[in-house]
Amino acid sequence: MKVRRLPWPVFLSMFCRSFLLQASWNFERLQNLGFFYLVLPGLRSIYGTSLTAETCARYGEYFNTHPYFAPLVAGTTLRIEQERLAGGDTPVDVETYKATVMAPFAAMGDAFFWGGLRPLAAIVAMLIALQGSLWAPVVFLALFNLPHLIFRASGLLFGYFLELRAIDMVQRCRLPDLAIRLKESTTVLLGVLCAYLSYNGCEHQAISAAWGFVVLPVVLLFAWLAHKGVSSLFMVLLTTTSLLLLALVF
Amino acid sequence: MVVADYLLAALVAVLVGLDRVALAQFMISRPLVAAPLVGWVLGNPLVGLEVGMLLELLWLGRLPVGAAIPPDDTQVAVAATVMALSMQSAHGLSGMPLVILCVLFAIPLGKFGQVFERLARCFNDRLAVNGQTYLLSGDFRRAGKMHLLGVASFAVASLATATVIVLLGSLVLHTVAPFLIGAVREAGLSLQYSLIVVGAAALLGTVNVHRGVSLFTAAFSGTLLVLWLR
Repeated sequence: MKVRRLPWPVFLSMFCRSFLLQASWNFERLQNLGFFYLVLPGLRSIYGTSLTAETCARYGEYFNTHPYFAPLVAGTTLRIEQERLAGGDTPVDVETYKATVMAPFAAMGDAFFWGGLRPLAAIVAMLIALQGSLWAPVVFLALFNLPHLIFRASGLLFGYFLELRAIDMVQRCRLPDLAIRLKESTTVLLGVLCAYLSYNGCEHQAISAAWGFVVLPVVLLFAWLAHKGVSSLFMVLLTTTSLLLLALVF
Repeated sequence: MVVADYLLAALVAVLVGLDRVALAQFMISRPLVAAPLVGWVLGNPLVGLEVGMLLELLWLGRLPVGAAIPPDDTQVAVAATVMALSMQSAHGLSGMPLVILCVLFAIPLGKFGQVFERLARCFNDRLAVNGQTYLLSGDFRRAGKMHLLGVASFAVASLATATVIVLLGSLVLHTVAPFLIGAVREAGLSLQYSLIVVGAAALLGTVNVHRGVSLFTAAFSGTLLVLWLR
């Protein structure tokens, strides 16, 4: 039996609701209620007045994934619902699909968006902000949100239209590899940022820029400390106290 | 600053605070965006930009993954901007030393944000239970309402964090600022840059890239050499 496509306003409504996925984030079931809220327009469109509590209970279970991947999961689950309602044979049911993909998608999203794209956009914006330009926040928002919004919207549509093949599509995007490239770019730009600050500092003190190389081992030491779990707060207090004491003594 | 300014700042604090978890996550909650935004609302976006620059990298490597709650750098940025602008009008102090002082006093208070956010999430546990009950009884509209009510708990947490940081920070600042501002001015640019460099180091330490140290060292050395020899 052929499955009737969901109307476009339903997709639009789900897209808008995806921004509220984490509104009731809780320790017990994390995004469960948010995911139900996200798919509700789709479920209403599929089942109409025959939407039952039993069907909805499938969406009240524990759920946690990266918020930008949730529309993709929602699109596919609704398609599975439709296929099953139409008597089609799907390899997995909604609960199994959700349970299978949420953790890998969360890991991919965290690495790509939080660990890769966000720091890179921030460093680019920082380099602009150091020139005193108020365009910095705008550039940051544009660099981050363009991929973010495209991913959210296309995720919902691809999830629905490609169904389980959406997983292959995500794999083909090679997000973990991309995340590594973004992190490498971030590391390079961090080097540029620190060198620029060192040079400016030397210029301000009217000393040779060669003294700027002193900053390199200090940054690497702090990076090692951060890697070992020393908090940023401690490092800030240590640095500022030392500098203030030096300023008071000399 | 008048009461209306504080109310406007509170409104921005809630708006950007919601962006952290509950609403949209457009990243207007990042210090580099939130601080200039509140500065712009209060009439001085450049002070906000200076605050945002100092804070942006500090906790950027702390990912908001699962149940992890990083320190609330959003409200630290908002509160530091409000404090800087209020000190400006109250004591006639201005410039980067004042911004640095406000940031330094606001940073440790960011821990309050973690406490309030944890409370909000615990409160949401109850909402989730109620929502689940409505869902199982077929009352989908009320289940949706329970979900949306969670926005209010996150809003209250954001507002509480901003208020506590501004109140405690201002209380201490008004007392010690006149004594410390001289030393901060003396340390000047090195203090400003060191805060950014500590943030950069913290990010470098958490970014987990193979050959990260080599890449950083090469980029640092190359850039410094170019700047030096040009």
